Amino acid sequence: MMGSCEAGLFTEIDKLRAELVNNVEVMPGCQRDEEEITYREILSRIENVILGIVTSLSKDENPVLALPNRSSWANVSFDSAIGLQMNSGSSVTSIRSDSPSSVRKFGQILKIFLVIYKLVQSNSYATKRDIYYNNTQLFGSQKTVDNIVDDISCMLKVPRRSLHVMATSKGLISGDLCYLEEDGTRIDCRSGSAAVAVSSNIGGIRNIVSSAKFVMIVEKDATFQRLLDDDFCAKLSPCIIITGKGVPDVNSRLMVRKLWDTLHIPIFALVDADPHGIEIMCIYKYGSVAMSFEAHNLTVPSVMWLGLLPSDLQRLRVPEDALIPLTKRDENKLSSLLKRPYLTSQPDWQKEMELMRQTQVKAEIQSLAAIAPDFLTNIYLPNKLRYGGWV
Amino acid sequence: MLREIQQVLRLIMLLGKQKPQHGLNTERGLLVLLWTETGASVQSLNCTVAAAGPWSTGIKMEALQPVLTDLKESMFPCMWSSPQPDPEELCAFTDLYGSLRLLLSFQINIHLKFKLNQQTFQRDLRVKVKSTVALANQPSRILDVTCSTQPPECVKKGCWCQGGHPVVGGMVPLSIPPKAMDQGLFGELSIQPVTLLSPCVLQYPNLATQLTHIKVLVFGPSNVPVAGPSTFFQNLPAHLDCQELGLHGLHCSSFKDHVHSSGMVYTVEQEPCKDPEQESSLLPMQQSLRLYLFLQHSDPFNCHLSDLMATEVLIEHYLEDILNNNRQSVTKALQTELQNTLKAQNRRKKDQEKLRSAAEVILSSSISVVSCSSNVDFRTACLNSMKVRDTHDLSASLRESLRRVTSWKFTPRDRCHSAQMEEHPESDVATRREI
Repeated sequence: MMGSCEAGLFTEIDKLRAELVNNVEVMPGCQRDEEEITYREILSRIENVILGIVTSLSKDENPVLALPNRSSWANVSFDSAIGLQMNSGSSVTSIRSDSPSSVRKFGQILKIFLVIYKLVQSNSYATKRDIYYNNTQLFGSQKTVDNIVDDISCMLKVPRRSLHVMATSKGLISGDLCYLEEDGTRIDCRSGSAAVAVSSNIGGIRNIVSSAKFVMIVEKDATFQRLLDDDFCAKLSPCIIITGKGVPDVNSRLMVRKLWDTLHIPIFALVDADPHGIEIMCIYKYGSVAMSFEAHNLTVPSVMWLGLLPSDLQRLRVPEDALIPLTKRDENKLSSLLKRPYLTSQPDWQKEMELMRQTQVKAEIQSLAAIAPDFLTNIYLPNKLRYGGWV
Repeated sequence: MLREIQQVLRLIMLLGKQKPQHGLNTERGLLVLLWTETGASVQSLNCTVAAAGPWSTGIKMEALQPVLTDLKESMFPCMWSSPQPDPEELCAFTDLYGSLRLLLSFQINIHLKFKLNQQTFQRDLRVKVKSTVALANQPSRILDVTCSTQPPECVKKGCWCQGGHPVVGGMVPLSIPPKAMDQGLFGELSIQPVTLLSPCVLQYPNLATQLTHIKVLVFGPSNVPVAGPSTFFQNLPAHLDCQELGLHGLHCSSFKDHVHSSGMVYTVEQEPCKDPEQESSLLPMQQSLRLYLFLQHSDPFNCHLSDLMATEVLIEHYLEDILNNNRQSVTKALQTELQNTLKAQNRRKKDQEKLRSAAEVILSSSISVVSCSSNVDFRTACLNSMKVRDTHDLSASLRESLRRVTSWKFTPRDRCHSAQMEEHPESDVATRREI
C-alpha cells in the first residue's frame, strides 16, 4: 500500500513545513565563510603555529600550544537559531613541551599538523584511519587521532573536511533521495530493502533530488533495519530515513543538516524513550559541546521529537513487562538534561522528561512490538505522522 | 691517632647528650689541634682536643677523671706524656666560644706525610647547610647536608639548591651475636638508615641525572663515626639486587681514592650509551648517594659514662659480627632504602625518554613544515628568529634550544636551600663548625 494514496497522511506535515519555512533564519554567511577559507589560508594558519614554536625557542622559552577547551559547558552558550556554540573567549588547555605528562600530546599534535599541511598542499585526502595506521606507535589509538583532528579544527577555526581529513561514515540512509558525489558517482537511496552508507564527503554532494515530505532520524540501527524490513519508506512515501547508529558521527549530522538546508522539510526524531535516546536527539538538534565550534554547520534546531514519547507509553498502554525501571545513571542523565540551556525553550520536551522522572520507567522502541509485531510501522508511525503527534 | 680522637669525641658527645640541650642553635666549638714542636722528631705529633661553649657547660673535670684514667690505661702510656699547646693557639678558639671546658692533650707516634708548601695549612670544617633529622626513639640529629657541587653556568643566581634532603628509613632491630654478649654487650641494638642524594636537582625535574657513587657511613650510638666493617660492606653489592634498583652494577672503590673516608664507597657501573649523538649532546648531572647508618643502643643497666664508653667500643669491635649475624634483615633494609631513593631516579629516566622521543617528533614535524613551505616570508621569519642561514642549521639550532629549555626547566621549591643561602651568604647563623 503506497502512502501517497492517502492524501490526508501528510496534512499536518505540510502545515509544519510551511511553518518552518516561514520561521527559518537564513544564514548565508556560514557557507560563504567556508568557501572563503582557501587552502592558502589553511597553510598560513598552520605556519603561524610553527612560527610561534620557533619564536619561543629563539627566546629560550618553552613552546606551548593553546587548545580551546572543547569539553567544558562553561565554554558554550545557547542560541535558539544555532544551538550550542563555542564562546569567543573560551578557556584553553595549555599543552606544554617541557612536561613529561603532555609532551607526547604536543608531538602528536605537531605530527598531525604536518600531515594536514602536506594533504592541503598536495590537494589530496586521507581518512583519520589512514593517519592513525601510518604511525600507530606514536598515536596509540584511533581515538587519539580523532580527538586531535577535532582539536586542530577548533584551534584553526577550520572545518575538518577543509583540512582534507575524511572520516569513514557510520550512518545509513534510505528513501526518496538521489544525489551526485563529488567524483560524479550517482547515489540512489530508493532501494527499499538496502540502505546506502552516508557519504564521507558531504561537502562535495551536489544535485540533490528528492520529493520527500519529511526526514526521520532513527536512533538505532536495529530500529532502522526493522523499518527497512517493513518497507516503511514505501508505506510512508515519499520520505527519507537516516540513522547514525547511536551517537551520530559528524558526517551523519552534516547529512541531516544538508537535507534541511536543501529541502527545508520537517526533520523528525525516532528515539528510545530513555535519557540516552533524548540526548542523541539533542545532539542532532542542538549540537554537542565537543563540536560546538562548528555548530552552525552541524545543528538542525528545527528537529521535532516524534517518538517514542514517555506519554505514548501511558497512552498506548505498553505492557508493563516491556518497561524498564530507570537506573541511577538514567536519573543522573535526566537531571543533567533538564538543566541544559536549550530545554528552557522546549516546555513540551520538559514535560515529557518530567513524566519519565515521575513514572521512573523507560522503554525502547522495540517495546511497541509487545502490542503487536507490526505496530511500529503500520500503526504507531503512520498515526503519529497523520495526526501531528510530535513535540 | 684517629682512634684516640674518636674516643675523646665519643666522650664529649655522650656528655653533651646527658646534659639537656636548650635549643639546637646553641653555638659550640670543638677544636682538634695537631702540632709538632720545633726541632722535635717528625715522628712525634701532639694532639689537643678542646671543647668550649655553652653546650659543654656541666662538664666537670673531676667527674671525668675515672673515665680519663680508663682511657689512659687502655692506650699506650707514652701517649699521655704530652706537652701543652701554645696558649695563643687556643685564643682564637676561646674568643669565639668562650672559656675552655675540656682540654686533653696527648702525644702519638705516626707515620704521616704532609706536603705543606712551606706554609701553615689550616682547614676549618664548616657546616654550611644543615638539616635536622628525626630518628626513632632518639633525639633529632643535625646532619651536614652541604653540597659542594658548583652549579653549571646556565643556572641563574638563587636557583641552585646548596644542600640535600635526607630521607629517614625504617629502623632495623639487630640481634647481638653470642660472641659479643660474652664480652658484655647486652640490651637492644638497632640500626637506622638515612639517605642523602647530592646535589639536589629537585628544582630541575627534567634534568638528566646519573648516579656515580654510593657512600656508606656508619655512626655509633654517640654519633661518632665508626670504621665500617670492611668485609660486610665489601660483600654487600653481591647481596643487593641491582636489577631491581635499576643499576647495572656496584663495585667497591679502591681505598686509596677515599683515604679520608670513614665509610665504604661504591662506584656505580654506568649503562653504555647506545646513541653516540645523544651522549655528546646531553651530559647528565652526576650525583652521589650517601647512606648513613646510625647505630642505636639502649640498656637500662648501662647508665654510667664509663659503661656507655665501653659499650660503644664493644659495638664497634663486634660490628662485623653483628651485621653478619643480621645480614638478611640489614641487606633487605638497605635494598629498600636504596630502592626508595632510586625510584625517583628511575622515574626521571623514564620521563627523560618521554621528553626525548617526543622532542624528535616535534622537531622533525616543525622542520618538515618549514622545508616544504613555499611561503618565503614564513621561511625567512623562522630562519631569522634562530639566526641561521638554512633549514639544516635551523634543525640543529632548534634541537639545541629545545634540549636546553626542556632540561633546565626550573620549578622552585620552598624546601630547597637556594633562596635563603643567596639572601645570607656570609651569615654565621647558617654555619657552624662541626666535626
